[in-house]
Amino acid sequence: MNGNTTVRRSLFRFLEVLCILVWLFPLFWLILTSLKAEGDVVTRTLSFWPKRLTFENYVKAFTSTEILRWMGNSIFISFVTMAVTLVVDAPMAYAFAKIRFPGKSILFWLVMAGMMIPFQVLIIPLYLQFNAMGLINSLASAIIPRLALPIGIFIMKQFYEGIPTALEEAAFIDGANRFTVFVRIILPLGKAAMATVMILSFINAWNDFLWPLIAINDTIKYTITVGIANFQGTHGTQYALIMAGAVIASIPQFIFYVFFRKNIIAGIASTGIKG
Amino acid sequence: MAIPGNKDTRDGLLFSLPFLIVFVIFMIFPLVFGLIISFFNWNILGTPSFIGLENYFALFRDSKFYSSLWHTFEFVLMTTPALLLLGFAMALAVTGGSPLKGVMENVFFVPYIFSMTVVSTLWAWIMQKDFGIFNQLLVATGHGPVGWLTNEKMAMWSVALTTLWWTAGFNMVLFSAGIKQIPKEVYESAQIDGASWWQVVRKITVPLVAPTTVLCLILQVIASFNVFGQVYVMTGGGPYGTTRVLVQYIYETGFKYFKMGYSAAMSYILFLIILVISVVQYLLLGRKEEA
Amino acid sequence: MKGKVSLVLLAVFLSMGLLFAQGAKEPASSGPVEITFWSLFTGGDGEFFDAMVKEYNESQNKVVMKNDTVKFDNYYTKLTTALAAGNAPDVIVVHQGNMLPYVQNGSLLALNDYVDAEVLADFQEAPLSGCISDGKIYSLPLDVHPIVMYYNKDLMAQAGITKVPQTAQEFIDASLAVQKATGKWGLAIDNTTGVYKAYTLTRLFMSMLAQQGGSLLNADNTKANFSNAAGERALVWLQDLVHTYKVNPNELDYDAAMNVFKMGDAAFYFNGVWATGTLEQSGLNFGAAPLPGIMGDEPWAWAGSHTLAVPVQKNQDPRKVEAAVDFIEWMTGHGELWAKAGQIPTRKSVTEKAEFKALPYRADYAAAAAYALETPRTPAWEEIYGTMSDMLEEAVTKKLPAKQALANMEKKINGIIASY
Repeated sequence: MNGNTTVRRSLFRFLEVLCILVWLFPLFWLILTSLKAEGDVVTRTLSFWPKRLTFENYVKAFTSTEILRWMGNSIFISFVTMAVTLVVDAPMAYAFAKIRFPGKSILFWLVMAGMMIPFQVLIIPLYLQFNAMGLINSLASAIIPRLALPIGIFIMKQFYEGIPTALEEAAFIDGANRFTVFVRIILPLGKAAMATVMILSFINAWNDFLWPLIAINDTIKYTITVGIANFQGTHGTQYALIMAGAVIASIPQFIFYVFFRKNIIAGIASTGIKG
Repeated sequence: MAIPGNKDTRDGLLFSLPFLIVFVIFMIFPLVFGLIISFFNWNILGTPSFIGLENYFALFRDSKFYSSLWHTFEFVLMTTPALLLLGFAMALAVTGGSPLKGVMENVFFVPYIFSMTVVSTLWAWIMQKDFGIFNQLLVATGHGPVGWLTNEKMAMWSVALTTLWWTAGFNMVLFSAGIKQIPKEVYESAQIDGASWWQVVRKITVPLVAPTTVLCLILQVIASFNVFGQVYVMTGGGPYGTTRVLVQYIYETGFKYFKMGYSAAMSYILFLIILVISVVQYLLLGRKEEA
Repeated sequence: MKGKVSLVLLAVFLSMGLLFAQGAKEPASSGPVEITFWSLFTGGDGEFFDAMVKEYNESQNKVVMKNDTVKFDNYYTKLTTALAAGNAPDVIVVHQGNMLPYVQNGSLLALNDYVDAEVLADFQEAPLSGCISDGKIYSLPLDVHPIVMYYNKDLMAQAGITKVPQTAQEFIDASLAVQKATGKWGLAIDNTTGVYKAYTLTRLFMSMLAQQGGSLLNADNTKANFSNAAGERALVWLQDLVHTYKVNPNELDYDAAMNVFKMGDAAFYFNGVWATGTLEQSGLNFGAAPLPGIMGDEPWAWAGSHTLAVPVQKNQDPRKVEAAVDFIEWMTGHGELWAKAGQIPTRKSVTEKAEFKALPYRADYAAAAAYALETPRTPAWEEIYGTMSDMLEEAVTKKLPAKQALANMEKKINGIIASY
């Protein structure tokens, strides 16, 4: 019996390691391709490891494009989007979860319906609207349409519903008002949901492509996602350069993830909210 | 709620206000605008001309609309069950007793942070027929090359596989949050009863994460119906349009051919389809959740 | 503790973001006229083009041109949206084949009163005529880029082929000879969609129709016109290369076709002249020639043309229009720089320049401009082009019965034309 368990355990560990390797392989390939000379990328037969590794694609990306500025723009846009999304969406989610007010369920379904509309249909109306407001070609134009994040509201609402109403009631009896309750009780307890929404909204803003492409004109105001799209040649793909651009564009997201991931896990573990 | 001086209505409005302002101006308004556009023939540069429901009638005669819609359904059917199952399996792995669970959690989630463009470009390169690593590995081991993205039977599966790699981690996070909410005592008592791992999963975990499953399912179906980027970057809708999904067709008619009215009309039909399916799902599954 | 770390990180990120984001202040406009341009050139093309803009800015001190690049794939989306809202830059690039909708909707400024007569006379007639509607000049052609033939000299020598093939049968024979002698592919015509659509098929198909005296659409562009003997002959040839003679790979995408030829794995290759730059860098021993008359004596070849135009603005500033025209005149007048990207210049004076004549390959196919096939002038073109590519791809890859495939295509194209 004991030996059997050991075998099973080893088998599981082996499978797990295999899964991890398989899952990581594309990322490994991304990085490896980005470190190859363009001429070594396309080969007739399998050539796993290149003759030499080089940073020339990275050098090219940094020296011949505005990639640092694009990154700066993206960081700015994503952080502002994330912060304002929370300010706008968290109270709404709380209202959906805990406050009884007329029209609530209709509004909730409207918000959820907003999640189902293909964003493409909004682009032209939004563009004309932003143009009328004089916001085209500003960083703000990339931020505003992403502030109402229905899925974020949904996640926070689900979470807030799990917070016992007794906690709030106690505070009300002590004379606290809604706002105090929201700031003092709900927000701290809802940290985990907030962290999830923050990540989502950050990733969304960072990865947005079509809208910032249309709304922003100046190359120096591009987001990184829009900027590195130009690594695709008019008449031919330079794989190594594109992969290098992809790696560079993903670094800030990666750092961001590494930090906030811990917060989520800690959040879920520490709040002790159990459905 | 028995609170003295109940101000729920006022509070509800106040708490909704910031969101409502953004929502109405930047979502509802353009949505209504889009709906109006769908009744016009408009090439965006010229003057729109009102044609009533003609765009909607035209759409029902358009075979490309049907084929694109079907491809979208195909994608939904391919990805939704797989993404739920894989997300759940991953969640089981990362909430279990493995010493590798922390590593796995990060590894499985990490693809999700990469942008659609990065993921699709990368996988299109990996699956490239002549020079991609998949086929070179196959050829080196004595197999024939596979037309991952160029064979009409394979292409959509390849895109689905890419999507699986990209987004399964998100479902994993939702599921593992659900699993972690299950009280430890439930598991402990099951162990005392001598239940096997599989029995525990089937009899305890699965039923108890049902609310999460419903949430995942609804979100996933919506996301899959809106699929566009991966397909567009990886296959361009090819080979010969066999992976063209509806949002791609909407994008092409609107932003390449500038038939704004027609494009908007299709968007609203897609919207209706998603809405109906979501409501049905909610009614069928959500009720169980509340019971 | 962890909270503090992330706060600090947040602050660092934010300030970095602000730093980079705020650095984007434009200089006050006094002195030179500042004008803006949207380009769709990326990759190698982009490098050559940006260098030209830089040289223009350095060549004089009256005009400063600011160039923003949008990926070709999304360029028209952005341009059209901006034009609709009166937000377009001072100068734009438009493919001759994409001009019509902008002309019809009054988005482009007629340049008759701005362009120097002498400069106008310097343009070759064919490319310029593509930019004129009802006597009004809406843009000036920067280049002509026909589809041409590239051939691998080494493979030809190994197969003992001394003469570059010209006719449909010669291509088949030569390809079979190459395949037999070297085991390499005879041809590398892309026939599936990858990062790029398989436009080469459509381009060849159009060219081969014209070579037989036909055309893709009828004379007034109201009906498709290829479901006939000429269309059948062209399609069957394309299918036979892949299926009957097996001298061209199946399921080959655009990038792969380029790579196959670049690596010396195929003897003959059809692509636009833009491929020259890339092929030069690869060190391949190759030659270039105008597309032969595969299906007939007149070697018509599909050709595109990048033209430069001035959008109509809400408040048109005459100083900017003049600056824009000055830029366009300079750019077209320095076509020898643009020819580095493989493109054929449009000004007679440029083809006379020693710098242009010194470039290899370009002179070999410069003659192709005489048989450049203009894109049909219909607002439906973009949709026709995409649909044709999809359907030809299917017909070639799956070897659909030619007659029926063409009839289906024609029906589809007619439906598209009717919907505009």
